[in-house]
Amino acid sequence: MSVPAEREPTTSAPVPALEVRGLVKHYPGVKALDGVDLVVRQHEVLGLAGENGAGKSTLLKALVGLVTPDAGEIYVRGEAVKLRSVVDAANHGIGMVFQEQSLVPNLTAAENILLGSEGAAVRRGVYRWDVMRRLAQEQLDKIGSKIDPLARTDTLSFADRQMVEIAKVLRIEQRSQHPPVIILDEPTSVLESKEIETLFAQIRRLREFASVVFVSHRLDEVLDVCDRVTVLRSGQSVGEVATAGAVPRELHRMMIGSTGSDDHYHENAAGPVEAEQPRLSIRGLSGSSFRDIDLDVAAGEIVAIVGVHGSGREDVCRALFGIEPTTAGEIRMDGKKISLPNTRAACAAGIGYVPAERKTEGMVGPMSVAENMTLTKQKARCAGPFVAPKKQAGLVDRWIDRLSIRTPSRDTPIQRLSGGNQQKVVLARWLIGGDIRLLLLDHPTRGLDIGARSEVYRLMRELAANGVATVLLADSLEEAIGMADRILVMNDGRVVTEVACPNGGKPSPLDLVKEMV
Amino acid sequence: MSTPVAMQPVAEPATGRNGPRPAKRLTGFMPLIALVALVAALTVADPDFLTPRSLTAVARTAAPLIVLAAGATLIVLCGGIDLSIAALASLSTVLLALWLPNLGGMATPVVIAVAAAIGAVQGLAHVLLRIPSFIVTLGGMSILSAVALVVSGAGTVRVVDDSPVKWLELYVGGYVPMSAAMALLVVALIAAVVKATPLHSWISATGYSESAARLAGTPVDLVKIGAFCVSGACAGFAAVMLVSRQFSGGPTMADNLLLPAVAAIVVGGTAITGGHGSLWRSLAGALVVTLLRVGLPIVGVPSAYEQILYGVIIVVAVALTLDWSKVSIIK
Repeated sequence: MSVPAEREPTTSAPVPALEVRGLVKHYPGVKALDGVDLVVRQHEVLGLAGENGAGKSTLLKALVGLVTPDAGEIYVRGEAVKLRSVVDAANHGIGMVFQEQSLVPNLTAAENILLGSEGAAVRRGVYRWDVMRRLAQEQLDKIGSKIDPLARTDTLSFADRQMVEIAKVLRIEQRSQHPPVIILDEPTSVLESKEIETLFAQIRRLREFASVVFVSHRLDEVLDVCDRVTVLRSGQSVGEVATAGAVPRELHRMMIGSTGSDDHYHENAAGPVEAEQPRLSIRGLSGSSFRDIDLDVAAGEIVAIVGVHGSGREDVCRALFGIEPTTAGEIRMDGKKISLPNTRAACAAGIGYVPAERKTEGMVGPMSVAENMTLTKQKARCAGPFVAPKKQAGLVDRWIDRLSIRTPSRDTPIQRLSGGNQQKVVLARWLIGGDIRLLLLDHPTRGLDIGARSEVYRLMRELAANGVATVLLADSLEEAIGMADRILVMNDGRVVTEVACPNGGKPSPLDLVKEMV
Repeated sequence: MSTPVAMQPVAEPATGRNGPRPAKRLTGFMPLIALVALVAALTVADPDFLTPRSLTAVARTAAPLIVLAAGATLIVLCGGIDLSIAALASLSTVLLALWLPNLGGMATPVVIAVAAAIGAVQGLAHVLLRIPSFIVTLGGMSILSAVALVVSGAGTVRVVDDSPVKWLELYVGGYVPMSAAMALLVVALIAAVVKATPLHSWISATGYSESAARLAGTPVDLVKIGAFCVSGACAGFAAVMLVSRQFSGGPTMADNLLLPAVAAIVVGGTAITGGHGSLWRSLAGALVVTLLRVGLPIVGVPSAYEQILYGVIIVVAVALTLDWSKVSIIK
């Protein structure tokens, strides 16, 4: 199955655009890359798949000179190279669009595209706007983008900014005579489905004059846009798949080394919903980016809100946690009217929130697992005004055990844990008080690998079974459909439709997409 | 299926750089190492240095600085900074000198309470108006200095009867100056309260990541206002120590303590970016700074060079303790 990459018999193309042989990189305690082989042919879109920790990011960083490998070779068009910096990589025609966007928001698209490679746009240290506009336009034309080069970057949509990034990366063509290699690291993670389609069209276009390495944790996307997929597992290349005719299941199996779960979303664990009185009931809720939202969530029910970027669903979620101000409407919990001026009020009302940005908003990286877990419900670890160390230890250990959180100890800084385990600690934060009534989950599985996702889903089912009401902003439509009892579709700040989503009668993603756009 | 096949208990490579770097581990001991080295160096330079007499002198000099730095450390731990502490202490010396004749023994608690209130007002301005603490306290410094000049009539206010504050000049057990003992008590008290209550979590979370702290429902605003309030009170208490020693109050009396106090905090290894650090570190830092101050004349360096030293110390210490991962995000 795992064909050694460099002996691929179908290599009819002259030389691979990029080739990696036996790349090794050690970090303290971890072998991030353990002899990776990779071939990127000219004019192909190569997918890179692997769970978190499989070595994808390290490999990419090595390819753009951000990481120096301990052993192994990188060949650009058959020539062995040492890449010491991003500039070095760019000189060899390798460029990367980073996961976190790297544009300067208050500059124009043109300035961003030429930033660092101004060329003729700067003469004697002075910007020449006409040249700059022309050069930027050339870049945008290459990808067929209609963006105005003089638009300020922060006025562009997220998807447009991504186009600007790609246009910017393509400037490396200026540095090398050969077709470039463009690396896209998780470019779809913050895009909604329609934007993803546009991006894919661009990627297919790129293939005509460049090679593309595409990384995504969504396997359906990888199969959709790539010609070939290389699968990484524990720092090694474990196989190659031609995408024609391949199914996600097969990739799953290679990524985790066994078949994925049949019941990924634990649908069989979905229990009946009690509906005599809704746990959460909002009427006519309006804010800066949403209007007249009506929403009921019963105890034990999981309601997903879906919508494209800018639909306002994130803001509804944040309003329910007292972060986003509201201008009208009322919120009731178990029939009692409440007001949510700040996050403290929301916590006191038994509402919990798991933010989308786990690393910056969900957890405090340098603080211990125990401190992160008890951050909100301090009473659970205190005796009177004082922290009771024994009480805390017992409590935290009990939850570590219960959620099978893998951590060396409760005093380990949470940033040393893997993403899935971090997320479980963040979830536990709301559970330890025993008073949680409503959970707001904003992309709770973002950036998690399949195993960790599955555990988060199981936990969500368990909480629902215990009567917790859940509002879910899912990472993908499949996730929303798989997990939810009911789905609300939002578009442009309003709820446009509501779709029942019972076990056994799930709607198809296409039905939802129709309403979303 | 609940076998978490690919979950790794250890760090994934991407987070590898978040572990404590060797430099960071070293800074943990830096203040103590510096302290021991300084004492050794000064003893070599001047064998008389290691006598009870000169050591008590150092302790007495250090006391107001320790208290000032301790209070401001709380604000730095929350991710802010307080530039008004010295000006507030100066104002407090004036108020104390003015009020001692009328209020007598009550003057001390009243002045500390007023200073705490002024600190809290700055905290409120910082939180409610959403102005960076740096700006609020820079403005506060200017305002408080001017107020001190006005109420003192731009001159030193002599204290005729200093009996209500004289107790600070006593010695505990014959050797330990009362002011130093009180400074130690202040540090121990605040540190213990913080450590034993949820405050430690709240302050650290606020300092490391304010948005995460807010989203976890911690009382971020209250914690910050509280930190400013305590810092104000500490400035007030430092003023009482100064008055007890100088028998007077003056509108610029404590002004030259601002840089040493900031230096004490960063030399102690508290990260200026917030989160990481402690009051005990600032205590060690204050002793280091005081030793340098006392030691310069001993090794024959004119005291005019003192300010250069503070500048260098602050820059170097911040460079060593800065949380770079955070700065690259905040800019």
